Amino acid sequence: MKKLILFHARECPHCRKMMPLVDRLEKEEGVVMERLEVWHDEKNADLMRSYKPILAPKCEGQLRTPTFFNTETNDVLCGEVPYETLKDWAKK
Amino acid sequence: MKKFWRCFVCNDIHYGVKPPELCPTCRVLNAYVEISAGEARRMMGLPAEGGFSREKFGEAIEAFAAQNEFRVNPDSERVNTLLDGLAANEEKHGLRYCPCRLISKDFAEDSKLVCPCNFLVHETYKGVEQGECWCGLFVRRT
Repeated sequence: MKKLILFHARECPHCRKMMPLVDRLEKEEGVVMERLEVWHDEKNADLMRSYKPILAPKCEGQLRTPTFFNTETNDVLCGEVPYETLKDWAKK
Repeated sequence: MKKFWRCFVCNDIHYGVKPPELCPTCRVLNAYVEISAGEARRMMGLPAEGGFSREKFGEAIEAFAAQNEFRVNPDSERVNTLLDGLAANEEKHGLRYCPCRLISKDFAEDSKLVCPCNFLVHETYKGVEQGECWCGLFVRRT
């Protein structure tokens, strides 16, 4: 089953900018995004690290925030993106 | 008075009154930023002691940027958010890791995430007219 994950960090300005877009996406498209904070939650950090082979190649070889991850398709978005891009990724 | 300095490109450590103008290892000009004794020790694989205040770090990055083609982001709200994250990471993990990237737990790899990092190679900065480092703490002068 498709699961959409947002790996974010509390003090990451890019993540703060993307949050309203995620709220809008959930409201308008009826999708659910699991939001996992990675700098203050070691369990979430370990989960993100476990996906490194999939995530890092899409993010200049690193684990960066925000990272949007579709666990079914392995589609990854990295950093700030326009709403339409986020929507296209979520609807795949 | 002698201080510790770190090359933001290759992480060489220098101890002296002034930093080298040219990094002897990576040959980058004006690459040294003042760091705490604790950071110098950690980067050399020793236990940390002797922290660096948020105010002192703010002064260090301003002085570092003043001699380069980039500056500290004029968006003070963004800078304050990032300084919160850097302080939290230093307290919890011993080094000022970038708040917008996660450590892998490989020290050599993670040393590339210590702020200021070598953002000259970031795709958000290299060749970008209004470039900035990944987190946006430093922005190209325009």
